[in-house]
Amino acid sequence: MSDNGNGDGGALAAGGPDDERIKKTGGLRQWLIRPELGGIVGVIAVFVFFGVLAGDSGMFNAQGIMNWSQISAQFMIIAVGACMLMVAGEFDLSVGSMIGFAGISIAMFGVVWGLPMWVAILITFAICMGVGAINGVIVVRTGLPSFIVTLAFLFILRGFTIFIPQTVENRTIIGGIEEAAEGDWLAAVFNTDLAGWLFVWLADIGVVDTFSRGTRAGEPVISGIPMLIVWAFVLVIIGHVVLTRTRFGNWIFAVGGDAQAARYVGVPVDRVKIIMFMTTAFCATVFACVQVFEFGSAAADRGILKEFEAIIAVVIGGALLTGGYGSVVGAALGALIFGVVQQGLFFADVESSLFRVFLGVILLFAVILNTYIRRIITGER
Amino acid sequence: MKSFLKTVAAAALVAATPFMAVADGHESQRYVLVSHAPDSDSWWNTIRNALTLAGEQMGVEVEYRNPPTGDIADMARIIEQAAASGPDGIITTLADPTVLGDSIRAAVDAGIDVIIMNSGTPEQARDVGALMYVGQPEYDAGFAAGQRAAGDGVTSFLCVNHVISNPVVAERCVGFADGLGVELGESMIDAGQDPQEIQNRVMAYLNANPDTDGILTLGPTSADPTILALEELGLAGDIYFGTFDLGENIVAGIRDGVIQWGIDQQPFLQAYLPVVVLTNYHRYGVLPGNNINSGPGFITADGLELVEALAGEYR
Amino acid sequence: MADPIVHMENITKHFGPVIALNGVSFDVKAGECHCLLGDNGAGKSTFIKTMSGVHKPTSGEIMFEGQKMNFASPRDAMEAGIATVYQDLAMIPLMSVTRNFWMGREPKKGFFIDFDKANSTTMSEMKKMGINLRSPDQAVGTLSGGERQTVAIARAVYFGAKVLILDEPTSALGVRQTSNVLATVDRVRKSGIGVVFITHNVRHAMAVGDRFTVLNRGKTLGTAARGEITPEELQDLMAGGQEMAQLEGSLGGTV
Repeated sequence: MSDNGNGDGGALAAGGPDDERIKKTGGLRQWLIRPELGGIVGVIAVFVFFGVLAGDSGMFNAQGIMNWSQISAQFMIIAVGACMLMVAGEFDLSVGSMIGFAGISIAMFGVVWGLPMWVAILITFAICMGVGAINGVIVVRTGLPSFIVTLAFLFILRGFTIFIPQTVENRTIIGGIEEAAEGDWLAAVFNTDLAGWLFVWLADIGVVDTFSRGTRAGEPVISGIPMLIVWAFVLVIIGHVVLTRTRFGNWIFAVGGDAQAARYVGVPVDRVKIIMFMTTAFCATVFACVQVFEFGSAAADRGILKEFEAIIAVVIGGALLTGGYGSVVGAALGALIFGVVQQGLFFADVESSLFRVFLGVILLFAVILNTYIRRIITGER
Repeated sequence: MKSFLKTVAAAALVAATPFMAVADGHESQRYVLVSHAPDSDSWWNTIRNALTLAGEQMGVEVEYRNPPTGDIADMARIIEQAAASGPDGIITTLADPTVLGDSIRAAVDAGIDVIIMNSGTPEQARDVGALMYVGQPEYDAGFAAGQRAAGDGVTSFLCVNHVISNPVVAERCVGFADGLGVELGESMIDAGQDPQEIQNRVMAYLNANPDTDGILTLGPTSADPTILALEELGLAGDIYFGTFDLGENIVAGIRDGVIQWGIDQQPFLQAYLPVVVLTNYHRYGVLPGNNINSGPGFITADGLELVEALAGEYR
Repeated sequence: MADPIVHMENITKHFGPVIALNGVSFDVKAGECHCLLGDNGAGKSTFIKTMSGVHKPTSGEIMFEGQKMNFASPRDAMEAGIATVYQDLAMIPLMSVTRNFWMGREPKKGFFIDFDKANSTTMSEMKKMGINLRSPDQAVGTLSGGERQTVAIARAVYFGAKVLILDEPTSALGVRQTSNVLATVDRVRKSGIGVVFITHNVRHAMAVGDRFTVLNRGKTLGTAARGEITPEELQDLMAGGQEMAQLEGSLGGTV
């Protein structure tokens, strides 16, 4: 934070003496209004909490870390899109259905209809981002709440996701993707383990366990850093830079903060919103690709409720539901908290049904905290 | 501010500690059961109860995990997570071998013993490196039911299949025919899912084949309309009628004498036996030499009281 | 005085059967503050929107720097140099002063916003208007109403406005903030920009206005220069013109 040096908060210097009622604001307050703050504190709290409660349970051995990292990375991928869209003032409830839809689309084109896998992937991206654009166009043209429009697409997409494979193939789970994707360059972008040598070395020095039997006996239990995690990091970094450093990012804030005001100064509000809907669709499709190529099959029931998990991660990460304020890094931290809590409760041996209670409590606190922060920013009392 | 809130949240969780399983002093085995069922599927309550009971009786720690929405991809992560926590054994369903295979194999290779229960086949269980399969092999269950029907004097039958697209379930009819010692031929009909259609098709078949003296339905979906069809034709109680799985109408049908028996796959055993097997294997090194069939258990009018009393809890 | 920058001649604007403007003539010259007074419903906002390119007049002419102009959109008018500061300010409270200041016209360095330039320009432009910001990162929401007006005005001036339309800039402000905004208007006028100051507060108009035009029931009732009319007369004109006949003389026969 820069400071003009007089530090007295006297904004109206020329109009008269400094206003003695504007209190001096310390660095603490400045920090409080950063959207990432809640996420940072939350991450520390969660790690300390589980470090104490589940420190020796395997949560922090190599496999355990990989486990909650992967879960968190999944949340991050969809949270990036959801965060930027929420900053632009809209929601997308069709994300979960889009994940199932994209997976089935890849399987239909790539396995059932026998196209090369990279073609199937590109077609799927085109279709899904097209659906995202339709979401956006309907929202900006009709002025309807995106909540309702995307709720409609939640059902429409899920319906097609079940109908198409059911009609063509008489089944709702399509396997054989692994074989069909063998050697495909684009599929490899979504499913490769990187830096395998690192884990071999870590296994050699005893940091990582090795398989004790079977065909892979002696190999480290972790074969590398999955592309899932790489994608999460890449998307978070790109999202953060676009949102905070670019002109387009400024427009996203403006559109969500006050669309009319943005229009007055010539921001192409409709275009920004439509592009944001396409971005969430893109993120959902990335999620689907990573999942489909890792597990080798697509099923019509994939991705159920993921839209809410994305929104929860974003809100825990400090974004305002009303738009105009939020941070991609915050959303990523929210996703990390979400993932660590979800997996950590298991390692801490807490009855799994209590996870929802815990999640609800965190969400509630996050929303209350966010409202408080907004009051600080806007000076409401 | 936030840290204060977190403290409160943490305190709330600490307050929940009584809900947690507390490890007792001596080294006890720990087993995790992973299912594919969403939270909303109440059928699995029986499994959870049986698991808890087995844990108490054997003096081992048991945990139940499932993907809240029934997402199989989430289930794969849960299996990986369970493996990372280093349990002595994992008991899991094999709802989709393509998705779950790698996770299960990795757990096995990491030295964790795995038993497959409920979904899957003995072949698939062997393929992923599991110790054994505990469940109801559909063909065998059908075969046993066929033998039973043959003993009761049945010579021809109608199989009402409402899930024609699922080849595993169709195995029930194939087994039944073999057990009965007749050709399956045209006696399996694709009934569809609509109750009215099922009822009409059953009536049409029985009118066209008046010498049919046995009926097999594959679950409540096909059993309930078949009961109505028989009542309409005046055959209720006259014709030999068996069904897979239990349901409210099926239980009533058994009590009224319309249905001779219902085949119960006994989910209780699917959760209970793996815990017992694993515990004994880990404590004394003994392991049954074969897969275990939890079903078919035949429910007739005789044992109905206990079924009704324990329905939803252990049955 | 010099030729007017904007000259509007006998403008009418109909919305279906509703006649919103029924013969409005108005001009503004460089370096003057021309106040447009009118009670609620007199047609002030339709007038602003016509001048700033939101509405097209049903009849009448708009001349801009001596040329007949036909603005297709607010964007056109803005690019020509007609900037409007609306009553609701077009400021976004959650965003920083810098981000608001540059919204829609962010300076770029390669792919990214040039924040060094954006921040320092914002600080210096605000200082010119007499406001010392704590920090350019400060959210607009923390500013007072008068300060927000000033940010909006500073923004318009910086981006090359030749004519600045201010829609009721003082209506929601307290006494001291009002005087600050009026001081800003004075400063802007002195820099050679033509200011159109729309208000229904005669005292505020009198404080900075060079000329005064009263709008009533969609018509301009005439224009008077400073010193030719008293506040009381303006007030009466606005109120409905019962005493119009007797005031006609004092308006200098411009009706």
